[in-house]
Formats: sequence, C-alpha cells, structure tokens
Amino acid sequence: MSDPREVVRPAGSLAAPDGMLPAGTYEPEILPAGLTRAPCGVNSLATEHLIVNMGPQHPSTHGVLRVLIELDGEQLIAGEASIGYLHRGIEKLAESRRYSAMGTLMDRGDYISGINNEMAFALATEQLMDIEVPRRANWLRSLMAEINRIASHLIWYGPMGLDTGAMGPFLYAMRDREVLLDILEDVTGQRMMFNYVRPGGVIADITPTAEKKIRVFLETFDQYLEEHIEILAGNEIFQARMRGVGIIDRERAVGFSLSGANLRASGVGWDVRRDRPYAAYSELDFDIPVAEEGDCFARFIVRMEEIRQSVRMVKQCIDGLPEGEFAAKVPKVLRPPAGEAYAAVESPRGELGVHLISDGTDTPYRMRYRPPAMYALQVGESLLPGNLLADGIVILGSTDIVLGEIDR
Amino acid sequence: MLPDVTVTRRILDAAGASASVEEVPILGVVCRVPAEQARTALLALRDSDLGFTFMVDLFGIDTGDAIDVVYHLRSLSRDEEVFVKAEHAYDSVLTSVWKVFPAAHFPERECAELFGLTLADHPNPKRLLTTDGVPPLLRKSVAIRSAEEVRNR
Amino acid sequence: MAIDKLTGENSLLFIRSEQLFDTARRKSLWYMAFGIACCAIEGLMHASGPRFDFDRLGVFFRASPRQADVMIVAGTVNLKMAETVKTLYDQMPEPKWVVSMGACANTGGPFREYPNVVLGVDKIVPVDVYIPGCPPRPEAVQYGFIQLMDKIKAQTEVRLAARRDGN
Repeated sequence: MSDPREVVRPAGSLAAPDGMLPAGTYEPEILPAGLTRAPCGVNSLATEHLIVNMGPQHPSTHGVLRVLIELDGEQLIAGEASIGYLHRGIEKLAESRRYSAMGTLMDRGDYISGINNEMAFALATEQLMDIEVPRRANWLRSLMAEINRIASHLIWYGPMGLDTGAMGPFLYAMRDREVLLDILEDVTGQRMMFNYVRPGGVIADITPTAEKKIRVFLETFDQYLEEHIEILAGNEIFQARMRGVGIIDRERAVGFSLSGANLRASGVGWDVRRDRPYAAYSELDFDIPVAEEGDCFARFIVRMEEIRQSVRMVKQCIDGLPEGEFAAKVPKVLRPPAGEAYAAVESPRGELGVHLISDGTDTPYRMRYRPPAMYALQVGESLLPGNLLADGIVILGSTDIVLGEIDR
Repeated sequence: MLPDVTVTRRILDAAGASASVEEVPILGVVCRVPAEQARTALLALRDSDLGFTFMVDLFGIDTGDAIDVVYHLRSLSRDEEVFVKAEHAYDSVLTSVWKVFPAAHFPERECAELFGLTLADHPNPKRLLTTDGVPPLLRKSVAIRSAEEVRNR
Repeated sequence: MAIDKLTGENSLLFIRSEQLFDTARRKSLWYMAFGIACCAIEGLMHASGPRFDFDRLGVFFRASPRQADVMIVAGTVNLKMAETVKTLYDQMPEPKWVVSMGACANTGGPFREYPNVVLGVDKIVPVDVYIPGCPPRPEAVQYGFIQLMDKIKAQTEVRLAARRDGN
C-alpha cells in the first residue's frame, strides 16, 4: 500500500496556470427544493421512497443540524438541510455591544476556534481606527491562533473517526486537546471562550508556565500526530469509506464559495494567511497543503497536514517571540470613524470574514459574520443525492461544519 | 487587491447596467447598481476578463431608508475583490442569483428572511433560520429585548 | 447485611426495594447525547473524555432518548429548538431528570436580549439541576451530577418517610 501522505503536495502559487479557473464554466444542478414521494410499484424493481428526518438530535450530525432525506432502500435520492436550531442573533446583538465587548459574542459563534473569530473582529476594528498593533502582540496572536487551530482540527478528527465507525481516535484526540486547552487556559484564563484578542493587541502576555507547557507539548505531539494519522489513514476500512466518496471538483468548490481546507482539498491553493497576511503570518515559514482529488480522504489528509504546519508555526512563534508590548495604547471606549471595513482570517473551517460598518458611535452599525461552514454545508447538501446513507454522513462530517457558526 | 475602477465601469456599462463605481477608503471598490440590474451586473463581472468567479459573501444592510444587498466577489485568477451593492426598498422582491453563483442559495434565504424581503426565482424560497411568525430581526425597526424584560423573565 | 444460615458466609443483603432502585438509578445516570451548542464540547465530549472520565460516576451517553435517564440541555434554546427539546423530553421514559448546563440554558445567557432566544430552558421542561458558567468546566458538570444524585436520594427518603408516616 502506498503512503497515503503522498497525495499531499506543497501548493503552487496562485498565479500558476493550473491555479486559474475558466470563468463561469460551472452550471449548477437543480438543488433539492422539496421532497417528493415516488410512485410505488411502477415496475417490479421500484421500492417505495422513505422520507427520513435526521436530526436535530442525532449523534452524527455534528450539532443541531437537521437533514431531511429521501431514501430508496439505502440510496439517497434527495437531501435538504434545515438549519436555524442555534440561531442566536450574533449579528443583531453586535449592534448593541461596544467594540471591546464583541469578543465575547464572536467566541460563541464558531465555538471551537474562538481566537480566530476574535481576531477577525479585532482586525476589522483596527482597519477602521488605523491602530498599529505591536509586533509582540501579532506574534502572540499567531501563536494562540495556531494552538487553537490544532485543538479545533483534533475535535474534527475525533468525530470523523466516530462517523466512520472508530471510537478510539476520539479518545486520543481528547487526550491531546486537554493539553492544548491547558495552555490556552493558562494564557487566556478560559478553556473555550477566550476573549483574548482585543482591538489593539491581546489582553495578556504569555506566562512562563504556559511557555514551559508549550515546549513539553511540542516535544510529545510530533509523535502523537504521526500516530493519529496512522490510526485512521493507515486503516483499510477508513480508506474504503473515504476514498472516492463525496468528490468536490474544482468548479463546484469555487461555485459554492468553499474556503479553507475544503477548497484546498479540491486543488485551489487559496489561504488567507498567505494571500491576505495578517498577524505575524508574513514573517512565519509554512506550507499550504493542497490535494487534487477533492474527495473525503483528500480533505482528511489536508487537515492532518495543516496540523503539522501549525505545529511548525507554534515552534517558530515560541522560539522567535519578539520583545515588547503586548497591546497598543487604545482608548477605553472605542469610537471608530464612520466607514466600512472587511477583514478575514483563516479559521480552521475556512475564510472567516467580518464586514464591519461603523457610524462613529461606540457600537457597530452593522456587523456581518461570514460563516465559512455555511458554504461548506451547501456543498455537502448538493453532494448527497446518489450516495449511500452512510456515505452521506461521512460527506457532511468531512466538510467540518460547526452549527454555531452556520446559524450564528 | 483592487480592480481598476475604469475597467470595472466599462464592463458594467457594456452589460447595460447603470452602475456607479467608486473606490471607498479602507473597504475597496464598490459598485452601486439598481436592484433589478444586480443579476446582469454580477453575470457581467463573472464572465468578464477580470473573472470574478468566487462569491465571498452575500448579506444585507439596513441603511435606514432601504435594504442594501451586498455581493462580495473575488477573482481568484487576478487576486482582486469588488463589492456590488444593490438597493432594495423595504418589503420588495429580492431576485435570486443562485444560477450565477450557486453559493448564494443559503445566504439569499437568510437575507430575505432577516430583512423581510420576498425571494423570486429561487429554487427553495422558504424560511431558513427562524420559524413562522418571527419578525425580520435584522431590521433596525425590530428592537431587541429590554433589560427590564430580561430581568422579569 | 446478615449471615447466611446455610453457608455461614456474610452474603445476604437486606434492603428496601425503594432503596435498591434508588441506588441503581443514582449509580447509572445515562444521559442523552444531545449537544446544542458550545457547552456540548465541554459537558459532553470533554467530560466523557480520558481526563475527566465521566464513566467513573456511572454516567454514560446514550444516543436515543428512549434509553436515557438524564437530559443535559447544553446550549442556547431558541424558538425553533424549543419544540424539539420538549419532544425529546416527552420521549424519555420515567423517571427522568433534566440538567440545565450553562448560562444560556439557565437564563438565556449572553443572547438573552435576542427575541428569538428562549429565556431559560425551564420555560419548556422542568429542570432539576442548574450548572452556572459559560461554559461550565467539566468538573462543574460532574459536581452537578453529584448534586443530582443527592437529590434523587433525598427524594427517595422523602417518599419513604411519607409512607411510614401515612401508615
């Protein structure tokens, strides 16, 4: 058996000829608008179609997703995602929160990668107010964001094993996540809802104990990561479940506005960290893994390779952390001048953008939270027809959706 | 990052969309088109040499007088971004562009629901996030709960 | 405890049936795997993960409400979700308990001002234990379950006392 990691190759630059897309070649199919009951007994082979309501309480839908599916035996005929079971109005509540208090709401949007969400909002505010962020703050942002990214990918990796029928990886992933959450808690004071990145910098410097914990983590995690990959990617059953399932070709990926690892698994090397550098990413050395296949296995391998790159970046950040202030001097109550700004970060799920409109008061006029997982869910939904029910679960799981972010 | 303003204007004019293209500080190039020409403008931008094939986002803004529907487009081949804003009157019709950009499917439903617009030409014009009877929540006229109401829950 | 007359071993246990059932219930509180939002990561995934090991207390997850004793409401309940929460609660067999985990399920939390959010899950289903925090740590969830066990025991004592006094 060939080494599954061989399918990963370093990304070419965006301007490369094969990175270009023919304009408007993708014609969408008719999306499922409603479900129909097929006539029974038309011929001897026809079976009655069954309409099954999967969710919102279902262990495999990664949150409170509800999918209506029409089944012919084990075959999916149509599928329609129904969301909104976690709609909490982050965009509306932002209009009554002060700029420095918005981190609390952003954290709870995509609750697995809080640091990245806060950073998107902080970057948008800094653009509006023209705040210069100290170099150390930028490095701390990158460091914590990468630690958070590893933790987030681990919580995708564990349930991915559960979806394909393996319990063990979940427990291993949780073991490693605890170590990462310890580090994040040491620095930010919370395990999940950090509110760490504020406009102007970060709220706390790295502690000596956290630094020690990161070094211990780096010593052990390289080996653990190889084990993680080996346990699933080296498993024949897992490969059979993932390879060739749920293929998203390049046109479909671009047409459905995928981003992040889902897009890179379809052969488009777009990464906000490289193409729109923020924080300290322009000074860090990292590769963007890209796979061509676009199937579930490619998405798995790209995410695993991303963890490896994140570990590399954490190493660079902790070794090269510059001296200086960890936050710029900003007023207590932020009042950006009237204007509009769009800032995006590469969250573990893709391009997480914040479109911020200020009217000069101390609360935003309108904040738009661009949810990458919502676009990933659309493509998952469009892939369902024609697959087996069990493969449908794998397809939805492999796109790494978080319902807190889809519904907001 | 920023497309050429004159080239963008020429493309939109050639397609017959009466658009005003300007460069807004901080944000970038913004094209304002009338609501009924939004689809034409998007199609022209997608199929032009600039190649805006990637729709980053679609959302609405309640400006106080009308609903601005914003289409945020990106050209992956030239690495440029443009914002197309179409002004819709309150309770008017939002014509779907999902055949131009399939990604607009969910965001359009969300935008129509939360701003009280009616979807036209959409394959599945149902509510997306809330249940029947919930007012268009993102409009400025819909207030959030007061502190009093929360305290006496 | 008593000595078995035949074998002479210390192997017989006399216990009231109520107390026996009470022990069985307390030591095997199976919760329904039903995570709504952020709290599910901490309260359901990390709490049952290798470090916190919820299994020690006999607390384990079941995927179906028909097999569950406890429902952990871990997250914000909105108007669309409320109906589902009620249905799931109705589907659970008696005796059943509800643990409201986190600020959102208790009172609406940071999202309490949004008109689409229900101000606390106790508006929909009766709640036995409230766990504060946003999100509560896994230890807090375990402490909440220990409180629930004490509550179940206390309820049994009350029932037994009422029967004794009634006779």
